[in-house]
Amino acid sequence: MTSAGLPHPPQATPGDPAPAGPIPTGTGGQPLPGTPGSEGFYSSGLPGGASQPLSDGGNAASVPYGGFSEGAPAGTGSTDGEARQRLHPLSPLLKGAKSIAVIIAALSWNTLGQVGATDFALIVLGLAVAVVIFSAIGWWNTGYHVVGRELRITEGLIWRRNRAIPLDRLQAVEVRRPLLAQLTGLAELRLEVVGGGKTEAPLAYLTVRDAGTLRERLLSLSGRAPAVAAPTPGDTAAEIPLYRVRNQDLLISQLLTPQAFFLPFGVAWVITQFVMEGTWTFIGIASTVTAMAGVLLQPIRRVLRDWDFRLFRGERLVLHYGLTETRSQVVPPHRVQTVRVTWPLLWRAKQWLRLTLDIAGVSGPEPGEDHSSDRLMPVGDLAAARALVAAALPGVDLAGLATSPPPARAKWLHPFGLRFYGAGLADQVFVSRSGRLTREMTLVPYARLQSVRVVQGPLQRRLGLATVYADTAGGRAGEARDRDLAEAYAIADQLAARSRQARAVPQVVAGAGVPGSGPALAPPAPGFPPPASGFAPPASGFATPASGIPTPGFVPPGPSHAASAPGVGGDSSGFGASGVVPPDAGGRPISEPDDETYWQRPEQS
Amino acid sequence: MSEPSAPTVVDALEPWPGTVAWRPVSSRLIIVHLIGIAIWSAVLLGGLLAGYLIVEGTPWLAGMGAVFALAAWRAVIAARAVRAWGYAERDKDLLVRHGLLVRHLSIVPYARMQYVDVTAGPLERAFGLATVQLHTAAAASNARVPGLPPDEASRLRDRLTALGEDRAEGL
Repeated sequence: MTSAGLPHPPQATPGDPAPAGPIPTGTGGQPLPGTPGSEGFYSSGLPGGASQPLSDGGNAASVPYGGFSEGAPAGTGSTDGEARQRLHPLSPLLKGAKSIAVIIAALSWNTLGQVGATDFALIVLGLAVAVVIFSAIGWWNTGYHVVGRELRITEGLIWRRNRAIPLDRLQAVEVRRPLLAQLTGLAELRLEVVGGGKTEAPLAYLTVRDAGTLRERLLSLSGRAPAVAAPTPGDTAAEIPLYRVRNQDLLISQLLTPQAFFLPFGVAWVITQFVMEGTWTFIGIASTVTAMAGVLLQPIRRVLRDWDFRLFRGERLVLHYGLTETRSQVVPPHRVQTVRVTWPLLWRAKQWLRLTLDIAGVSGPEPGEDHSSDRLMPVGDLAAARALVAAALPGVDLAGLATSPPPARAKWLHPFGLRFYGAGLADQVFVSRSGRLTREMTLVPYARLQSVRVVQGPLQRRLGLATVYADTAGGRAGEARDRDLAEAYAIADQLAARSRQARAVPQVVAGAGVPGSGPALAPPAPGFPPPASGFAPPASGFATPASGIPTPGFVPPGPSHAASAPGVGGDSSGFGASGVVPPDAGGRPISEPDDETYWQRPEQS
Repeated sequence: MSEPSAPTVVDALEPWPGTVAWRPVSSRLIIVHLIGIAIWSAVLLGGLLAGYLIVEGTPWLAGMGAVFALAAWRAVIAARAVRAWGYAERDKDLLVRHGLLVRHLSIVPYARMQYVDVTAGPLERAFGLATVQLHTAAAASNARVPGLPPDEASRLRDRLTALGEDRAEGL
């Protein structure tokens, strides 16, 4: 709990009347007039009294229950400032229920055996009441309201925290409904802002309708241009269903994970062991079962989380998924930092792949368990993936992204998987691929680049190679590994120039014939691009497939599905050489790269 | 400024030769590094010497020899390492290069700047040096320029912040 930004001392003074103040007067959720107790709480720390403007941004919210924000900054309070709202009255119960479960688990059967059933029930009941009262106090002191283009959240009783979230920094909004909330018709609204390792502002809980309207409102306020339009509740109706994962596919895909795949072998091994030794101890069996459950936990969790995965697109991407805890996530396309495409080894027979996306603030550098809420497609085939990539990164055709492998002398660094490495500068994204067994492709839009790095280690220096990193705020970087040094600098230069160019151009509208929409389209010429703008589209050879993407709905699997993406299905051929090669460009494109003209190695050009 | 003309001779420290005006960091940084190395070596040598005086044995002497050799090697490297540092302010981005064994080149657009740090440790202050570090939203980007004279450091900081405000984009 940080107290940064608090205009007043966070410590409660002894003899402070405030904690007792609001509670007895609790009647309903209306904002109360400032009680003397709470005024005293603040004036105790301030020489000038509570009515003194404290600091910009914090003054309106620092007076608890002050009703309408007094002196909201820049006059916005008069139009948009509103009464502080409380969360739903049932939320302390729901939050308490979670803690009660934890408490019971902590007490465990052991305690039950020691103290007897009635005492145990009494202990649990007492703790439950305490927890609920505690969360009720927390609920009473928690409020939120929208002031101008900020969402302000006040919480805490003793350590009070006012948090102002500028909505133009909003990265994504998620509505979560855990099981209990589903039963009671409530939802939790989570705002993702860059900067914290965790979700900055969970509002738990609101009614589903409130959460929906608040989300629409926040998102409309968070637009780039100051939104004039009032939140339109019917906005969600404009969402076009784009993709839906069939649950059986999800189940099969999770059965095709290493954990599930090797489970039968593990079970067989353990049973053989038992049979051979002839000892069936309880401990042995129990520990085996526990170990298996642990192994299977991740696939099961994924199934539960990605159940009934649906994706809609209106002007933003909307994702719905989850079984026990449904989540619905809204991602503005210009907040997508990277898209990763993964072809797991065991899915290859099914020609399936997975798409994940990084949003700043959601996914930290370390893939934690809860950070994985950034899926774009848990499982699907190439056609679906193309449609989804086109939705997430307007104008990018997954099947039309060509990469070129590192020079052959990099085999000293990658003895096995060299041909699975590659990088390419596509029209709007930087593409890099890696991995032999689990093949991965990372797409980094130029507009999202934070910085470019060229790193050369001692071994690479011996070979004249270097690695280019394209850093994004999502924490994961696109990396062109082990390129020729001159080529690496050319890539870095292109990345810098293109990111500048992409930033200068306002974001491309979804689906508007993208290959031609970029300004200053230089004619695709072999050799290096004109230096002034530094932005030359790649040769039109692989830009053309993009025109075939229908924005809503599906891409039908192309007539030459197998030919256009040889490697996705047919393992041994194509993919490794040049990634997803455009049609008619089979064979080894290393020697015939008509689409990677601008950064050919010097000795070739 | 950023002409990707096909370079024929490529050096890891000289990308796009002739097009970028690299600025070196102050050579006083070498002395700072040398002093740092000397302090560390002295501490280590002192520890080893104490050990030798308590329990005699050749391993202590070998350790001292190793520390001495390492210090000498690092001292030799220090000058080159400091000369390997360089930065260049282009129209739209800042270039920073450093490293001898592992060579780094960072290109950070001013528009991506989140904040700028200017720090100076006690040794650096004694020699009138400061370090400027540019932070972006990506944790991986690392644009750190050590060994700047204070006025140059504050000039760079002011320029970076001014340019960053001009082109504020952030994410």
